[in-house]
Amino acid sequence: MKQINLFGQEFDPSKDEKKYSSKIEAPIYEPKNKKPHIMELVDKTKTHRLIREIDNSSLSYEEKTFLIDAAKRHNVFNYENIADYYAHSSPEMQHLMERSGLVIIDFEKAIEYGYVKLCNEIKKQYLEEYGE
Amino acid sequence: MENKDFAVFIMVHDRPENCYTYKTLKRCGYTGDIFLVIDNDSKSLEQYKNIYGNAIITFDKKSIINKYDSGDNSGDLRSTMYKANEIFNIAKDIGKKYFCIMCDDYYCLSYRYDTGSRVIKNRLDFVFDKIVDFYKSTNIKTIAFSQGGDHIGGFNGKFRRKAMNSFFCSTDRTFEFMGRLNEDVTTYVNLGAKGQIFCTFPFIQLDQKDTQVTGLGLSDTYIKTGTYVKAFFSVMYNPSSVKISMMNANNPRLHHSIKWVNTVPMIIDQKYKKCKLEQIN
Repeated sequence: MKQINLFGQEFDPSKDEKKYSSKIEAPIYEPKNKKPHIMELVDKTKTHRLIREIDNSSLSYEEKTFLIDAAKRHNVFNYENIADYYAHSSPEMQHLMERSGLVIIDFEKAIEYGYVKLCNEIKKQYLEEYGE
Repeated sequence: MENKDFAVFIMVHDRPENCYTYKTLKRCGYTGDIFLVIDNDSKSLEQYKNIYGNAIITFDKKSIINKYDSGDNSGDLRSTMYKANEIFNIAKDIGKKYFCIMCDDYYCLSYRYDTGSRVIKNRLDFVFDKIVDFYKSTNIKTIAFSQGGDHIGGFNGKFRRKAMNSFFCSTDRTFEFMGRLNEDVTTYVNLGAKGQIFCTFPFIQLDQKDTQVTGLGLSDTYIKTGTYVKAFFSVMYNPSSVKISMMNANNPRLHHSIKWVNTVPMIIDQKYKKCKLEQIN
């Protein structure tokens, strides 16, 4: 909606905002309402394939054990599903998931609010520096 | 700078006449401390001292090579990994609790919005202060400025979970860069996967001289192996979520490709946490 400024000129107060309207998006994930099945949290397809090859080999027990440990590096975790699962889990499960770094809690919205504040301060500075 | 316990450390190597970053920081109005970190056996050390005087800090790379994980046994010590790691100790020694690690080839620092980038004229102190203030208020491990390549495909204000090239850090939140080459990527992927937060602030952009055409520095290392070896360091450390793909820039080359949903744990609001630990026990 257009308005008249102090000098009698027409202006659109939302125009400058739109010009620099890049959406500020803190990296906060919103868990879904549905709890995924626990089998959806990690894809072990490649790991199992490697383990089958290791099991069928003629290597020593120690070597097989090492290779099986290494094969687990190919487990593919789905962190969105993991966060969804967390949101619907028991307090004990949540605690252990946090201990393992499977989700990160933004306590008191320090990251979310802090990021928005930082973005606004930098934008204000930019507009001042460029006289816009 | 309002944050007096902050400094910039520039990693330099054999191009004393072309420390673009130093000039850029000054041009953009940065008034805080700047230190140039260099190996004590650099053939350009005296030239650096002549130009930058007391801003030069040396370290003995040979004495620390076994201290950090280079990820290979090539014996090639040409890597910024050693310097970047040692800067945490240097900062502590000289009493700089907060600091930014930078490379020496940034020719421009700009504000970045969807209208494009515009150079920071003279208020870089303000920008640094605000980023340090934000950093202090969170448990983020490091914050980086964005690079032009981050905005290919369209600019957005997303706080991305990566940190390359410039690193706002603290001596209270140490971490270790890993891998002789591509150490920034390998580090944010590997530690990010363990729940540590590395991120990029998109509204400030740094521009650096093109990889592989700058001359000196590590350029010849990248040219020699065509970035194949460089990119594979990150795959080696995190094979479940990093792959190699072709980057079709002006200078097409092999590059890492990260599947983010499989790499970093999500950050979620506290409201989803059901109770405190003591309530469980």
